[in-house]
Amino acid sequence: MSLINENKDFGVIAELIPNNASVIDVGCNDGSLLEYLREYKNIDGRGMEIDQKKVQLCLAKGISVIEGDADTDLYDYPDKLFDYSILTYTLQATKSPKTVMQQLVRISKKAIISFPNFGHWKIGTSLLLNKKMPVSKKLSYSWHETPNLHFCTINDFIDLCEELEIKIEKKGDLSNKKLSNFSGKNFLDSYFNEVGLFLVSKDQI
Amino acid sequence: MSENKIVTLAEDEPLNLDGGGSLSKFKTAYTTYGKLNDKKNNSILVCHALTGDQYVASDHPITKKNGWWSMVVGPNKPIDTNKFFVICPNVIGGCMGSTGPKEINPENGKEFATDFPVITIADMVRAQKLLIDYLGIEKIFCVTGGSMGGMLVLEWLSKFPEMVHSAVPIATATNHSAQNIALNELARQSIMADPNWQSGNYYHSDKKPLKGLSVARMAAHISYLSKEALQSKFGRNLQDKNSLDYSFDADFQIESYLRHQGFTFVDRFDANSYLYITRAMDYFDVSSANNGSLIEAFKETQSKILCVSFTSDWLYPTSENKKIVKVFNSLGLNVSFIEIETENGHDSFLLDEPKFFEAIKGFINSTFENL
Repeated sequence: MSLINENKDFGVIAELIPNNASVIDVGCNDGSLLEYLREYKNIDGRGMEIDQKKVQLCLAKGISVIEGDADTDLYDYPDKLFDYSILTYTLQATKSPKTVMQQLVRISKKAIISFPNFGHWKIGTSLLLNKKMPVSKKLSYSWHETPNLHFCTINDFIDLCEELEIKIEKKGDLSNKKLSNFSGKNFLDSYFNEVGLFLVSKDQI
Repeated sequence: MSENKIVTLAEDEPLNLDGGGSLSKFKTAYTTYGKLNDKKNNSILVCHALTGDQYVASDHPITKKNGWWSMVVGPNKPIDTNKFFVICPNVIGGCMGSTGPKEINPENGKEFATDFPVITIADMVRAQKLLIDYLGIEKIFCVTGGSMGGMLVLEWLSKFPEMVHSAVPIATATNHSAQNIALNELARQSIMADPNWQSGNYYHSDKKPLKGLSVARMAAHISYLSKEALQSKFGRNLQDKNSLDYSFDADFQIESYLRHQGFTFVDRFDANSYLYITRAMDYFDVSSANNGSLIEAFKETQSKILCVSFTSDWLYPTSENKKIVKVFNSLGLNVSFIEIETENGHDSFLLDEPKFFEAIKGFINSTFENL
């Protein structure tokens, strides 16, 4: 099941990307985001996807796609090959989110990363009141079958960026389709945003 | 169904060869399927493997079997000949009508035999380019092939990048590993160790190196299959018997199968051609003409590319194919990669592999629609 709300998320991501940019979508699913960006932003897109059925769908759409794993195959790209890399709802499913993030800012000038925010109030409430791992629309798996290995909160993500000396340029609020400049941790974001979405970069690698 | 055609190329100017020397007025035997459209932008060049030939989608004149890629090429097949103009030439050095060791040397009226110059994959591609010129095609829509055919695809991308719109190299490598060369050397030695080989001059003798060629094919055939496939197909099953014979007859099914592969192969293949073509594969190194750099080799390439590998292929494993993908990625090319899960080994590209067919079809059709 795709966690991406096409109308909402694609539009916000597209707003971050200038026309004609070169873009790699890591964990590109069936290629629909790349297709969207190709149509609205005329991007030169590439995909990486671990699920072969989805790789086939990309091929049939004419999207260049590598059957590969974000954890191991990003090393194959040279530094700053792309203008933008995109990682939507995949970070929490990687074996090593830290190295994946380092690779993303290495292979692209800017990276757009989104993930389910484990600090959202509903999750906290669910844990506190039911003593059960939360299952919701955005977190749709039971604990024993989830592909998600590393959940984090928006604040955890911000801390990791700081540790890796990755600069956070912008943050997105998907429920209100809003982008704004990043100016440090914010109680409202970490508590009320179901999804963390950030534009990050690192010049020195 | 396509008729075999033969054209004489390099009539005005000889084809200079990598190893020195040249070929002039050489023949290329080829088949075509479908029609070249008015824009001349729907051609697909199919490059065959070591023991393949131009009979890609039509019955083989000797074995009477279906073409070697008849599951892939044809009307409404993954490479749809209702839509595309498919060209498949027999490589030079081959033995199905293109100039090779068993053909007559126009200079002395005798078979070339081992007087045939040692040729390379690049020489084969230069020869194919002359055929494409002859057919009046300036830009090939797609060049594809598996195994040695994949090497030809890579050479096309490197030598004539402006002539290739898209490419599908399958189960191949940018050069042969020591293991690949070792296996080919085993095959060559078994041919040359056959006294009937007679230093290659057997064309007018009633003794031909059939045993040597047959053993060469048996050895090669093992490398085309995976251990799992051999085990699940044959295991230790006995051939038409219930107990061991305590002899050197074919007790096991696998022995009988390999012997059959060897015996039938000699009817359709020339031993000298086997020597020349395996040599070309061993010499192949697409980086060698570019100071050893693969990046240099493909720096002019702009084509859209799909690389395919098979999980159980140990002859041209996924790691070798991924090396190619990495180079194309480094150059920022429009490259796709898919690894097909199968236990059929290297031979998978010739077998019924629906996921492989789906990938080829998806890539080729979408690329053509976006032309």
